[in-house]
Amino acid sequence: MMSIPLIGPDKHQRDDTWSRLLERVGQARDEQAFAKLFAHFAPLIKGFCLGNLNSNFPADAAEEVVQEVMFKVWQKAPSYDATKAAASTWIYTVMRNCRIDLMRRNKRTPTYKDGIDIDDIWDEADDDQAFVYLQQSSNEALIDRSFTQLPPEQRQVLTQVYMQGKTHQQISDETGLPLGTVKSRVRIGLKKMQTLIMGAEKAAEKNRESWQ
Amino acid sequence: MITHHPDDNLLTEYSSGSLANAVGVIVCAHLQTCPHCRKRVEQLNKLGAAILNQSVAEVVQPASFDQLMTRIRNQNSETSAGDKKSTSEHLHPVYANDPLLKHVPKVIAKLLPRDGKLKWERVSAALKTARLKTGQSQYEVAFQRISSGGRVVEHDHRGLEVTMVLCGSFSDEDGVYNQGDFLVRNAGEIHRPTATQNQDCLCISVVEAPVKVTGFFGKLVNPFLSFRPA
Repeated sequence: MMSIPLIGPDKHQRDDTWSRLLERVGQARDEQAFAKLFAHFAPLIKGFCLGNLNSNFPADAAEEVVQEVMFKVWQKAPSYDATKAAASTWIYTVMRNCRIDLMRRNKRTPTYKDGIDIDDIWDEADDDQAFVYLQQSSNEALIDRSFTQLPPEQRQVLTQVYMQGKTHQQISDETGLPLGTVKSRVRIGLKKMQTLIMGAEKAAEKNRESWQ
Repeated sequence: MITHHPDDNLLTEYSSGSLANAVGVIVCAHLQTCPHCRKRVEQLNKLGAAILNQSVAEVVQPASFDQLMTRIRNQNSETSAGDKKSTSEHLHPVYANDPLLKHVPKVIAKLLPRDGKLKWERVSAALKTARLKTGQSQYEVAFQRISSGGRVVEHDHRGLEVTMVLCGSFSDEDGVYNQGDFLVRNAGEIHRPTATQNQDCLCISVVEAPVKVTGFFGKLVNPFLSFRPA
């Protein structure tokens, strides 16, 4: 069972540090900054992979995933934009895409030449067209914290979806939970996080006002 | 205005990377058109990051970093950074001059055959279809082109059918769908789309398992039908 450590108050500050380091890697190709990012994220990526039981990954492949993800992080860092995403979110998406790629290769599905690149499919930000940017979404620290406050069964199903990269149907097949239950746990969990985040944002707002 | 969106479950499966490529393509196409859902996925990606942040840190092999730097230095001598930009290409003139195709989301543009030879098959007077390759055998991905006012034969599904309107609009028993709208039909749901009068309608559809026609004439005309994954 995965243990979920509580997040200290310095989380957001630290996150900013990672974003600045990642920017330095992208812009100045700073190897020391990269070493610091590696020291922090490589063990987390490995832990994330090992939490990933019953998947197509043998446990000893975790090191290989770490190598692959951090290699991509170096390669793609020049396109990183700290105003759009925190380093941890950006690294999460790089890791996710790597995993999809590796799982596809591990499955030995018939290979095809015309197949579309994983990075083209998992690329929600359209930078070719100017889109209206809606208000900034909630900050990472709030999301981190609200996730830890979820009831265990909701947190667990979300962890399964993310760590194991499984569809709701696959989770239902493996756990024996009806598909509707898996779906509603995900939905209710997300809604609950949203409520917690909005509550925290409102409280912060009030705090600011009382200082003015 | 986009009024039909993928639900939170589907967006979560997208953000967590659990969707099959073919379904990922159509969700991505919607995201590239819909700022509302993009923001939602941005939040969900932050949840992914939270789960990564809260993973139990596992010590990596001591030589891991040096190994990686060796690989990076070898790679650097071959190609330089910024490979991302060079992959964006222009649309083939055949597509760029087609009013239905010229504004497709970039993920869809990547699926178009590079040589400009998209093969349209006539299914009925109202419907043409063109299969697209995503490299997955479990799904069929295709354009559906309904001529203005045209009606598609009634059909139901044995599996999931996901459709997104790329251009124009159509309606069925449940409502009207405009550009960017995203619909999911589950197994057993029957519908019969009709394009609006003034304009042809282009949709992309992802079908999980063969569709069967329910109407009498369906035996003769099988639209979304002959399942041939490409």
